[in-house]
Amino acid sequence: MTLAELAVTVGLLGVLGLAASRFGLSAIPAYLLAGIILGPNDPAFIQLVQPSEVTDFVAEIGLIFLLFFLGLEFSVDRLIRSGRHVGLGGAADLAVNAGLGALIGVAAFGFGFAAIVVAACVYVSSSAIAVKALSDFRRLADDETDLVLAILLFEDVAIAAVLGFVATGGGSAATTAGVTAKALIFVGAALAASRWLGGPLGRLLARLELEFFLLAVFGFVIAMSAIAKELDMSEAVGALMAGVILSDSGVREEIEQRFFALRDVFAALFFFAFALTIDLGKVGDVGWIVLFAVCVTLAGKIGVGVLAGRLGGFSSRQGLNAGAALVAHGEFTVVLAQLAAGNAALAVAHREDIAAFAGLYVLATATIGVVLLKESKRIGRALLPAQP
Amino acid sequence: MTVELKETRLPGVGVKFSMTLYSGARITVIQHNEGDREIYVHRRAGDEDPVAVVELHDDEARQLGAVLGGAYERPRIVEELEMALGEFLIEWIKVPPGSWVNGRTLSDVAFRRRTGVTVIAILRESESIAGAQPDDVILEGDTIVVVGKAGQFPGVKTLLASTTPPGD
Repeated sequence: MTLAELAVTVGLLGVLGLAASRFGLSAIPAYLLAGIILGPNDPAFIQLVQPSEVTDFVAEIGLIFLLFFLGLEFSVDRLIRSGRHVGLGGAADLAVNAGLGALIGVAAFGFGFAAIVVAACVYVSSSAIAVKALSDFRRLADDETDLVLAILLFEDVAIAAVLGFVATGGGSAATTAGVTAKALIFVGAALAASRWLGGPLGRLLARLELEFFLLAVFGFVIAMSAIAKELDMSEAVGALMAGVILSDSGVREEIEQRFFALRDVFAALFFFAFALTIDLGKVGDVGWIVLFAVCVTLAGKIGVGVLAGRLGGFSSRQGLNAGAALVAHGEFTVVLAQLAAGNAALAVAHREDIAAFAGLYVLATATIGVVLLKESKRIGRALLPAQP
Repeated sequence: MTVELKETRLPGVGVKFSMTLYSGARITVIQHNEGDREIYVHRRAGDEDPVAVVELHDDEARQLGAVLGGAYERPRIVEELEMALGEFLIEWIKVPPGSWVNGRTLSDVAFRRRTGVTVIAILRESESIAGAQPDDVILEGDTIVVVGKAGQFPGVKTLLASTTPPGD
């Protein structure tokens, strides 16, 4: 990738992202679209950027930042404190949507590891898109928003637990068990470190001048990712645990403020680089899966919204609003597909299909989900009675 | 305190406070993790759509809070009362002349560490400071507005009465 190519790329990301947000849509599908257009696969009329070591590297940094931020916000305390909606809504969502996702996975790839990856991709909604849309559409004060955010929190924790598995699992039973054991030890060590090291580390960081503060935090994140990778785990797990360790350090807010912009830039490039590998020529192969998955997702997520809403004492209209907020899939679906793409235990053909599936699926649900959320109150008034 | 304030955590966003007014309207304040506030007003508690949404930056919200809390002008009805905020009270305390705190910043005086109270505003003839910051300076003749528990105010008065910095 040359500087000129990078300039065109970033320019296109900016223009498409801006256009999407003008229409009230999320920028994530816009970034994916940019990658599909400029990438080497179909559509072939512009093939400006080839996947290379540079794009892989940029994508890796973006992935690391996304998971680092997930780790920073990660807190079992917070999960417990957010109250009753988390358990009930989160469990209903997991049961229904991971179940439906597994069904899609099996239908597309047969029983096996690929089906599990698809299940996780279909299960996890986009926190980033949902929170932004709820805020844009003035929904934060609504009661059912509590339910949506609780479910998203539950999903984020659940997905953190399967990241490492998606990246390195799926080999023989013995290797998978070994990998899982190693990951558990690593996560356990990092959790212990967050308890004992978080405080001193935070005090040390707080004393540094800004320039060195930034370098130290960045270095720590990259080092944790590198260690995880050296131990044959995913860099994603390392970055996640780096976030968890620093989440209790007292400098969390400062880190979030300072690295927010950097994360957004690299995340945009991550989505772009991921989409370079998407081949629209595969629509013939995966098109029906995507279509099927989008329909199932609409039914599953809205169903869970209404179901969990009823259990939590909300009206059907409020349940519809909650469900609509969960339709959009985004960052973590792409992250999972990217991790799966680097997993040697998966057949190459399956990896390509999963990447194409995840990209198109995010493109569709992120667009439909945001439009649906915008109109959900009107739809509710038209279709559902005011009281349950 | 007959008006019930409901507090809910919004994971990834911030904290939501909502209260239903005597009129039946509902006011919701979203305190974003980034520091901004949003105020939503629903004409009736059950309404789907808000009739007004106001976004405030941190400094604007503090300013508004000080006005609403009576830091600028005490409402006549509470002239002789402290304002009760649950177990907390708001007190108006005049800084005595010759006090060691004159000319020092709030962080130098360290009210919070020494007495447990928080200074929310500094009232001054020329220009009052609402939403007092750690580097705001107390001057001769100021009145400070503090939030704290009932038992903490005597400590504040003792601290202010001293002419030399306490040796701790």
